[in-house]
Amino acid sequence: MQIRNTCLVYRLFTFVIICSFFIPFSQSFADSGPQGASDPSLTLNPDKQFDYAQELFSAKDYLTAVNEYKRFIYFFPKDERVELAMFQIGQSYFLGRQFDEAVKSFKKLTDRNFETEYSIKSYFKISEIYIALKAFDLALINLNNLIMITKDENIRDEAYYRIGWIYIETASWDNARHYFEKISTKNRNKFRLERLADELDKETLIPQKDPKLAGFLSIIPGGGYLYCERYQDALIAFLLNGGLILAAYESFDKGHGALGGLITFVGFGFYAGNIYGAVTSAHKFNRKETGQFIDKLKKNTRVNLSADLENKSVCLSFRFSF
Amino acid sequence: MKKILSFIVFFIVLAALSGSVLAGQDVKIDDHQQFSDEAEENLENVSLYPIKFYQDYISSVDGNRCPMHPTCSQYCIEAFKKHGTFLGWIMCSDRLMRCGRDENKLSDPIWIDGKKRTYDPVSNNDFWQQ
Repeated sequence: MQIRNTCLVYRLFTFVIICSFFIPFSQSFADSGPQGASDPSLTLNPDKQFDYAQELFSAKDYLTAVNEYKRFIYFFPKDERVELAMFQIGQSYFLGRQFDEAVKSFKKLTDRNFETEYSIKSYFKISEIYIALKAFDLALINLNNLIMITKDENIRDEAYYRIGWIYIETASWDNARHYFEKISTKNRNKFRLERLADELDKETLIPQKDPKLAGFLSIIPGGGYLYCERYQDALIAFLLNGGLILAAYESFDKGHGALGGLITFVGFGFYAGNIYGAVTSAHKFNRKETGQFIDKLKKNTRVNLSADLENKSVCLSFRFSF
Repeated sequence: MKKILSFIVFFIVLAALSGSVLAGQDVKIDDHQQFSDEAEENLENVSLYPIKFYQDYISSVDGNRCPMHPTCSQYCIEAFKKHGTFLGWIMCSDRLMRCGRDENKLSDPIWIDGKKRTYDPVSNNDFWQQ
């Protein structure tokens, strides 16, 4: 009896040991079964999805952020942050230096709604992109469209102000003045227009060189460069052209026609180059002086308009360099 | 005396021709254009041979000492390609006269291979296209 019992215990023990070998396999089979697959499901939460996109945006992983914002819009089209997500898509493309895509994204917002906070900001962003790309005409058209559709005087004034600055960038002083004058009386102080007008009037004092006169003075080699205050270039042009003209004259005079022709050919290039260079120098001089004036104007009088995403108001800052 | 006169006439005609180009006058393209685009391209290529020769066999040994960017030889190639042989030759001569003096003070600097150079591309000098 005792032997039988011992044998039973031994068999039971062996059975338990063998079963224990199969426990891990049985668990893995259980996980892979149809019941196990349904348990670890992922539930998309609008807050988490939006926060994840924002986190990618903050980490400057702009192109991945775009995908996450798109996912947010796709799964939660009725969420109140959809417009913000659309705006952030445009911002991400802009900061990722994909300007065409940025413009397209902002335009989706402006086409979708007329006068919401983010559609207005999108209009301004589109104009900023065009200005950065030096496509001033497109920036002007975009801001004029905004002026046409908006009924808010503050927004219209800001658009006028921005248009005025685009004309300043292109040195169209009268057009700039015209648009600054359109700003309503109540916003004139906000944009510091009185000081801006005073500074803008100084554009008549920008030193300018006449390109035609520079070209004419170059009949005497170096004269045009001298007029454009390029003294070393003037000396080189005078000596080089004088030497070549003299050499060509001497060659022809002494009967060396072929040599004279060759020197004349070379001399012609340098003589015409002297005229061309003087004209270009005058243009460069004007460009540089005008650029410096605009930079000074921006530094001293421009009110920085930045879109504040949290508040609906526009953030203003102003500085003056003495 | 005749020789001097012929030289002066030749020089004036050339200067007048260059003046008309610089004044930005429109050049009418005749229906029976003498040179096809291909021929013009070949002409440009031929005029680039001396510059290419300079770049390949002289400058490569002599070293890049031009203080401008693009270098004068590269600028000439770009000017020839962009504006044709005639204006390219004038722009090339102009650049050789301006290289490394007053332009260094007036144009923006640019750092190339750790060396400070003066940025003066063709687009800075074709004022009629700006």
